Order: sequence, then structure tokens, then C-alpha cells
Amino acid sequence: MSRAMAERVHRALADENLQTALTRLLGLIKYVRGITFANLDFETLSGEIRHVKETSIANLPDLVEQFKLQATKSGAIVYEAEDAEDARGYISMVVHEHGVKHIVKSKSMLGEEIGIREHLEKMGITVTETDIGEWIVQLASERPAHLVGPAVHKTIEQVAELVSNAVGGNIGTEPQALLDASRQALRKTYIQAEMGMSGANIALADTGSLIVVTNEGNGCLSTTMPPVHVAMVGYEKIVSGWNDAAAILRLLSRCTTGMKMPVYVSHITGPSRTDAIPGSVHMGSGGPRELHIVLVDNGRWQMQETEDFREALYCIKCGTCLNVCPVFASVAGQTYGYIYHGGIGAILTAFQHSAEEAEDVASLCLGCMACRDACPARIDIPRMIVALRTGLAQETGLPWLSKMAYGRVLKHPPTFDKVLKVASYLQQPFVDKDRMIRQLPGSLKSLTQTISLPALSRKPLGDRLKENSSPGKTDKPKVAFYSGCVGTYAYPETCEQAMQLLKQCGAQPFYPQKQACCGAPAYFAGDAETALGLAKENIAALEEMKPDFIATVCPGCASMLKKEYVKLTSGEPKLNRRAKALAEKVRDLSQLVMELTPSQLPKPSRNQKITYHDPCHLKRGLGIFDGPRKLLEREGFEIVEMADADACCGFGGHVVLTYPELSKSILKRKIDNIEATGVDTVVTNCLPCVLQLRGGLDKRKSKIKVVHSVELLADIL
Amino acid sequence: MSTEVTNPVDAFIAEAGKAGASVFQAPKAEDAVVYLIKLVQEHNVKTAVKSKSEIADVAKLRERLEKEGIGVVETDLRDWLSQLSGGKSADKWTIGQVQELISQATGQKPDKEPRALLDAANLFVRQKCLDADLGISEASLAIAETGSLVVAGDEGVSRLVAVLPRIHVTLLDSQNIVPSMEDVFTKIKKGSPGRISQVMPVYVTYITGRNTTADIPGAVLARAQGPAEEYIIVIHNCAGGTGA
Repeated sequence: MSRAMAERVHRALADENLQTALTRLLGLIKYVRGITFANLDFETLSGEIRHVKETSIANLPDLVEQFKLQATKSGAIVYEAEDAEDARGYISMVVHEHGVKHIVKSKSMLGEEIGIREHLEKMGITVTETDIGEWIVQLASERPAHLVGPAVHKTIEQVAELVSNAVGGNIGTEPQALLDASRQALRKTYIQAEMGMSGANIALADTGSLIVVTNEGNGCLSTTMPPVHVAMVGYEKIVSGWNDAAAILRLLSRCTTGMKMPVYVSHITGPSRTDAIPGSVHMGSGGPRELHIVLVDNGRWQMQETEDFREALYCIKCGTCLNVCPVFASVAGQTYGYIYHGGIGAILTAFQHSAEEAEDVASLCLGCMACRDACPARIDIPRMIVALRTGLAQETGLPWLSKMAYGRVLKHPPTFDKVLKVASYLQQPFVDKDRMIRQLPGSLKSLTQTISLPALSRKPLGDRLKENSSPGKTDKPKVAFYSGCVGTYAYPETCEQAMQLLKQCGAQPFYPQKQACCGAPAYFAGDAETALGLAKENIAALEEMKPDFIATVCPGCASMLKKEYVKLTSGEPKLNRRAKALAEKVRDLSQLVMELTPSQLPKPSRNQKITYHDPCHLKRGLGIFDGPRKLLEREGFEIVEMADADACCGFGGHVVLTYPELSKSILKRKIDNIEATGVDTVVTNCLPCVLQLRGGLDKRKSKIKVVHSVELLADIL
Repeated sequence: MSTEVTNPVDAFIAEAGKAGASVFQAPKAEDAVVYLIKLVQEHNVKTAVKSKSEIADVAKLRERLEKEGIGVVETDLRDWLSQLSGGKSADKWTIGQVQELISQATGQKPDKEPRALLDAANLFVRQKCLDADLGISEASLAIAETGSLVVAGDEGVSRLVAVLPRIHVTLLDSQNIVPSMEDVFTKIKKGSPGRISQVMPVYVTYITGRNTTADIPGAVLARAQGPAEEYIIVIHNCAGGTGA
């Protein structure tokens, strides 16, 4: 995290206009997504895009050659630019050659990436953005806030002022009047322009065609009215042919606007032409006489060759990842500070700028995986962010504080245990009667600004369960209980209830004393070495008594044990086999309760309404969301669903520590949704989520109770 | 991907309507002409621009609209020259004759070389598109799956006719409706206008519903930068009784 980033986050959260605009945007997005995805086979359609992009990027060198050949045959002039400067240089040359003074430009993220407008403006050329949103952003001298809706951060009053100033008159704040004025102003610029610029959403190798998509019609006009058309195209846009394009188009528009197709899809093959004038075929009939296609590398080939990051090239720039990102919903695009926003922005920034700058963007990531599940190309952005940090840690090392925290403390369980015991002693003056810490002093103050913290237990779980360290001789299913750090030090009583619950289900639970932190904090920060060390300790500790199951109350830990350990140990075959065997046994506690009590009949209603919060790592990490609800219903609870039950609570990543204000804004939406249900209890299956929700509701002085499902079930099962 | 509705014509009409287009069904080409005349009267249309359309040519649509007092300009260069010459075929003209026609129409005297003649023609026709109340196109194909019209051509004006005027009307032979996007590609290569010296027409423009924008806060507004109204006339029996 850089100071500049912290400053931008702070400004965005304090900007009332921005927050108003974002609330409006979120409502619109939710509405559109609701309609669009209601009857859509997203699995099949996203699978098709994934296949198309995987194949095209794998065959990219061949496709590029074919594209160049066919595009040239169609009369286009193809130029290959190595980087932004190269692309700007070529385009400037074309501008000079034709004595261009006015340019109309259709929206292009690649144009933003290479900074073409600013460059041409410095040369004294008038460049007009023709997408109305982009035009508004240009009038405000800003950068786009969103891939698809550049001006989503503006209020109607701000837009009214910008448009009025641009056309010279007072247009007022009536949307229709503002639109009419914008259209008329833009029409004039098309007539005047000697050059039109655009990007391309897709390029087809077999015919050398470009596909340009717009809903406003500005794409058609920008690419047709001026006598010269320059298209900027990233290499990754090339697919083999129209059928591939169809697969992409099917989801592109649904994801952006909710429509089945964009309003205008222009499929352009070469410059316009006629044979009506005697002589031969003449270019430039009712459209441009020259078409320049600038293929831009700018880090793309490097990405194509790097297995860990190749899938970033599958991005179709639909903006869905931003639409579902809790962080984006709080701060919008400009806050990220670079061209591309959100998680995918971090990866692209790494290749266009540097890994350090990318890490700055990635520091905003909660790791909630909402983007991964919503992506129409199934891009695993969270995985790439971990890969980015791991690479960075290997190259330049971790920041000293992280090195200290992970390498010296977390990695050595006895040290970690001692540090927390000392902390549990030091905290005493600040602990209220109900074991909550509401205000910490000095530099620790920020920790208690967003949420009230649970006091660390003076007697952590291990010390309480000395007698239960082994299953002993038994015919019952042997269940090793894995508590996780939050359970061990903050909520040992809940863990004891979990053990009790397992007993009630007919199992023999025990607590392996040698268990350590799962390593998630280190792993997600890029410290793979510490994470691997901890994986080894935990694998040994948990397999020792040959349990039938391993029960968890923290899905973050469960994901580590079940999924990441297998990846982490891939370099050591023997260890890897043990990790795989362990993974098979890991269960979320609610899942295990269902497995152990399959014939339990539904209980009569308790007349108690609750709402359920989906932990990110349980729903998206392990795919468990239906089971916990079924269990609660079986036990007689009535679930009132909150809006966005699976949205992150704001605890994820390091955001809660590095950007407490941001975490607070995300938590606020969650709590608003909880309160809107009108119930008095919110249930979840993750102790860190409990910590965050309980702390947030306490700050709000709310009477709503937050419980881990274990706490509800232990009494009644 | 095939749609669940088995009849592509019905599916197209449903989807195009959902996307925001107004669809009218004409049993024959003559019904389309009658409907169009009613439409121009209702919308107070004074001027129209027209893209290449065989359906319109056969039905003498331009002449019929002119009789109603509507100024109609052909925008396809060949058709425009023919219109200027009073209906002569443009195939055997000399460059001098072309210069003569363009000079008379534009009131300028461009040089007798192709570039200058094209520039003059482009500017003139473009202005007509900007000024026109109505644009008339014919779709080479249409897609049932998405309700999209497919307008093809080698000249840029086919796109200006579709986007610049206040109202856009597209004529569509129901036999040219295909089930899905994938069906377009092979058909477009075979049977659409354009394709001078290449397999693909220079422009294949897919138009789906009515243009909109969400960039002005507060509402999703129709008529962003294209027409306010998008009409489609589906003609079921284009051959006028002799066809299928």
C-alpha cells in the first residue's frame, strides 16, 4: 500500500457526490443483472468464451500472421507497435501525413492505455471522445471510472454543468435535454473530423476484420464519417473467425447492459469502396478511404508467454468484475490510480507498468472471489493476485513488517502463541466487562475505529483442551478439530461448543495440540515459504491420529487445508500425496454435522427468524452455500434472506488492517442489508466473519446478535 | 445456439420487439409500401435517404414516396448517379458523364478524377443523411436468436442511413431470417450486396433494437446518437404471390 493510494481511498470515501453516484450505479447494476441472468445458462456460455479465448491465445502467433495477411488483402494498413510510445509515434505520423486537425474517437481502453488523446492534444490536435460518458469525463479532465460506464461517478448536477459549459448555454438538469444537447454537439464534431479513431472489441483472423461494438451509435459514426480510420487493437483481441466472435458477443452485452446483443455491432473489413466510378475500384465511398490497424503489444506477448498470467488476456473488457467488486462499489475506478481497475487491473498494471505498482492496486483486493465467479471468461483473478505477490516477494522480498510477522512469528507456532499470550495480558486495561475492546490507544487506535474487537482469551483453546488431545480407542468416527487462529485466541468457547456438537452427533472429536496457523495471511501476502512451512506442520499434526474427518469453523482455514496445501506442496511428491489425503477429510462443521446425522428428521418450527451470511471462502472457496441453510432449516429456524447475502463483510485480504475506512464502508452495506431483514439474529459459518459483523454491529449499538451456527446448534441438537 | 421457439420468423419478431424495435408484418411488398407511406405521414417526414434495396426497387418505393411529396435521395453511389440521370443504368458511363452528373447535383465542379468526384459525392450524400427525417435500409439477413438486423455493403453510407436520420426503417424479407448468429457468416458471404474484390462486404452492421445510453445519470435514455425510432417491416411474401 502506498501513501498515495491510501490518500485516494480516503478522498473517494469522503466524496459525497461520488458516493451518491455509486449508490445509483449499484442499483442499476443489480437491476440489470437480475433480469439478464434470470434465464441464462451462464455456465455453458462462459464455458464457450473460455474455450474460444484459451484456444486463440494459445495459437496467437499463427492467428496474428493470418490476421495481418487478410487485413492487408482487404486494403487495410497494419502496423505492429511494441509499446505505447511506438503506437503513439505511428498514429502521430498518420495524423501528420493527412494534415489532420480534428479527430473523433470512439471509446477504447487501449487508447487510454497508450495515452493517445493526451499525446495528440499536446500536438495541438482537437480530439473529441464520442461516447457520451467518455465525453463527459473528457470535459471534466478526468479518467474513466469504469470500463463500460466511464462517467458512472458523476451526478446529474455535475453532468449538467459540464455539458452546459461545453455547448455554451444553460441546459438544466433534465436528462433528455442534456442528451439532446450532447448529441447535437457531437454531431458537429463528426462532420468536422478528418480522422476517426476506435478500438476493436474483437478482431477476426480469417477475414482480417474488426468488430466494434457500441450502444449509442457513435462507433458507427466515428469509423465511417471521417476519411481516415485508425483502429487500435490489442493482440489478444484476435480470434479465428466469426463463430468465435459470436460466442463472445453472446455474453459481452448481457454482462455490460443486460441486452442480448449490443445495439450496433460493426463488422469492418477494409476501407469503404465503390466500383461505380469508371476505371477501377476506388476506396473511400461514403466512408474512409484509409483504414490503419495498429496492433499493440505493450506487455501482451510477455503475458502470453507467462503461464501464471496468460488468462489475463482472456479478458473481454465487460466490466463485470468491477460490477460485483465490493471495493469498487465503495471507491470507483479512479481510485486505483492506473488505467485498468479492480483485480484484473492489478494484473494488467503489472505488465504495463511494474509489479510494485501492481501490488499497490492489488492491495485493495479483499480476496472475496466475487469477480472470479462472475467473469464470463472464468478468469481466476484472485489466483493471479497471489501469484503476483509471490513473484514480487521472491524478487524484491517482503516488506520488513510482513517479513517479521510471517517469517519470525507466524511461522513458529510457539513464538506466535507467546506473542498472543503477552497481548492478552497487555490488552486488559482496554477490555470492557462484556469482553469487548472498543477503543485502543495510540497507533492501535485505527484497529477499533471500524469495529469493536473481541478480547483475546487469557486461556487459549489448546490449554483448555489438554485432556482432549487424542481420540483414544473408539468405534465412533474420529474427528480432528482444527480451530484456526481466530477460534484459538478470540473465540475458544465457540470451539468448545463445536467439539460438544460433534459429540452430540455421535463422533469422537479431539484437538491435535500441534496444529498451527493455516498460513493464509502469509500465503495471500505472497510469502509462500512461510505458508509451506505451516502446511508441513499442520499436515503432520492433523494426520497423526489418523482421523476420519477434520472439522473446521473457519472456511478460510478450510480452503487452505483443502485446496491451497495441495498447490503449495506440488514440488514435493510425497508431501503432496499426504496433502491430498488430508484434503479429502476436511469438512466445514455444518457439512460434517449433516454427514454424521443423515437420518435426522426436520424439527418443528422454533418460531425464530434468522438471516444467514455466506462467508466468501465457504461459498466461493468451497462451493458450500445450500448445506448450511438446509441444516438451519432442518433444526427449525426460519431463514429470511438478506440482499447480497454472499457479499464480503469487509474483513477479507488485509483491507481490514490497511484500509480500515474502506472495510467500514463495505461492512456498512452488509449491516444495512442485515438490518433490512428485520430479524434479530444473523448466523454465519466463519469466525472471522463473526468477529467483523459482531464488531460492526456493536459500534452501531445494534441489538442484532451475531452467531456462528455452532452456537445455535450446540444447545439443541 | 438454437432458440427454443422453432419458427425463426416468430422468434425474430419477438426478440426485435423486446430489444426496442417496432416490428410491422406485411403480407406482401405492396403492404410494406402502404405501411411506410402511412408512417411518413404520421411522423411528418419531409425528406428521406435510402440505401441499396432490391425490395424497394421492385416495389418502386422511391417513386411512391416522391408522389407523396417526400424528397428521397438514393445513397448508394451507383443508385444515386442513376437517380440523377433520371433512371439510366450507370454501367457504361464515362468519367466525364459522372463528373457532369455530380456537378449538376452539388453545384460544384470537382476535377475529373475519381478522388475529387468521390469527395464531392460523399459530402453531398452525407449532408442529405444528416438532414433527412427518415432512413430506409434493407437487411440482407436477420437473426432470430437476438432480434438483430444485418445490413451489409461496401460503401459507408449504408451505415449513415441507418444511424443519422430521426427515424430508421428496415425492410426485411422473412425468408432471410436465420436462427442464430453462426448462420450469418456463410450466408453473408454468398448473398449480400458489396463484396467488391473480397469475400466479405466491407461493412456488416448488426442492429439490435433501439440505440440507448445510460451515461446521463438518472435514466436509460433512448436515442443516444442514432435514430429515435427503429422500425422493421417484415415482408412475408416478398415475391408478391409468385414466391414460396
